[in-house]
Amino acid sequence: MAYITGASMINIDRHYDKSIRRLASDAVFKLDSSSVENVDYVIVASSISYLQEPQLDLASYIASALGLRNARAFNVEAGEVSGATAVLMAKSLVDSRLASKVLVVGVDKLSNYPSAVTYKHISLLNDSESESLYSIGLGGIAGILMRLYMETYKVDRLTLAYWPALMHSNAKLNPYAMLRFTITPEKVLDAMPIADPITLLDTFPIGDGAAALVVESKPRDALAEIVAVESAVGYPSITLSPDPLRIDSLELAYSRLTEKLDLKRIDVIELHDSYTISAILQLESLRLAERGKAAEAVANGYFTVNGDGPVVNPSGGLKARGHPIGATSVYQVAEVASQIAGIFPGLKVPDAKSGLVVSVNGFGSNSYVVYLRGVE
Amino acid sequence: MLSKSPPVVWRSRIYRYRLIGCKCKNCGRVHYPPASACPYCSSRDLEEVELPRVGKVLSYSIVYAVDSDARERSPVILGLIDLGVTRIIAEITDANPEDIKIGSQLEAVFRRIGEDGETGVIIYGLKFRPVI
Ligand SMILES: [Zn+2]
Repeated sequence: MAYITGASMINIDRHYDKSIRRLASDAVFKLDSSSVENVDYVIVASSISYLQEPQLDLASYIASALGLRNARAFNVEAGEVSGATAVLMAKSLVDSRLASKVLVVGVDKLSNYPSAVTYKHISLLNDSESESLYSIGLGGIAGILMRLYMETYKVDRLTLAYWPALMHSNAKLNPYAMLRFTITPEKVLDAMPIADPITLLDTFPIGDGAAALVVESKPRDALAEIVAVESAVGYPSITLSPDPLRIDSLELAYSRLTEKLDLKRIDVIELHDSYTISAILQLESLRLAERGKAAEAVANGYFTVNGDGPVVNPSGGLKARGHPIGATSVYQVAEVASQIAGIFPGLKVPDAKSGLVVSVNGFGSNSYVVYLRGVE
Repeated sequence: MLSKSPPVVWRSRIYRYRLIGCKCKNCGRVHYPPASACPYCSSRDLEEVELPRVGKVLSYSIVYAVDSDARERSPVILGLIDLGVTRIIAEITDANPEDIKIGSQLEAVFRRIGEDGETGVIIYGLKFRPVI
């Protein structure tokens, strides 16, 4: 059994004044100092930093910078699912008794270069043997998927704008979120087009971030239990997927989870809304809405605190909390664990006892689900 | 695009100059670009095949946030193109955004697709244009 006994985050922003090591220590030093005593392993999840602030064997240098000279350390790089992969590694070390305490640090740097260069770095999340060769960024693929969705299910653009509006509304209360202002759905349509039908307000802001988790074998003072982590690889490109509007890898990862566990209810979900269309397709892959109906459910408030569904992305999501690529799913796990413990400092999900984190690389080359539950 | 080493550009030339994909001898399905095993059935028994050079638009996006080396041709139209045997994502050229509709017929043309600012390597490959 693996438990989260500590979780911390820093605000996501363009931290021009902070190095990758400083971002990591800012997050870790927000934990009680006793909680990082006798750490057996430090696992560092990072991705874009390897292109923007190159440091090989980053984890050992971060462990030293944190003063954890007696720890063991290694890196996990898996694009946008780096953080969830690190959580799987932490749980595996604890479950196998190779460790009794593991520190997971998700940290990433996206602001060392101008946005145009950063978008090129981010485009490497795509298959470099096809899409990256043609300089096709994530935005173009998201635009293709959004138009295909609108045409296939006859959903209008305005209905699809309720998602970013909801994310901004949620983020306003989250002290760690990068974009803490509200927007209307109409404003999404009026924003600058980046990959028509997608506008600037359909996607995440560029920011740096760091979040930390302490994973232990003992439930004492735990925020939540990591009940299971599942994942699956998918097609490298939407061109190969039999139905590009289905995220095969997420459907498979989630079915692997539900086969193992009886998920009677999920109170809170943090999913991977790199684009509006990503959120919509993920909600449908998790069967929280019928295919073609998720945008309407979002617009009707189904995923809000007052709605009938689970509360989705009370943090504000990638859209408004922000998306420091390799660190993002560590934020998501920290947020869901804090919700379950009743200590999330933003929009609270009342009486949350269980939660799910969904992490996806690109548009489904790799998907992770992390299921957390309260400790009795 | 990030700096592309000349060997990387040279190695991938055939697949950019000609539409070469792989057909699986086990399940019969075609994929592009060529992989070492079939993405559908895992068979390693594959043969290279030339893909059709005409297809139709399944979906598209008009991309304004383009790389610095493509800025003078912004916006770029990107299409998800159905070649019948498989699909491809490629740039649509010689067309205005308002000319492109879902279902539009396209054909492959050889074009310069980019230049590496640092190494000066000019990259050629295929784009698609409306069938006149
Ligand atoms: Zn096959």
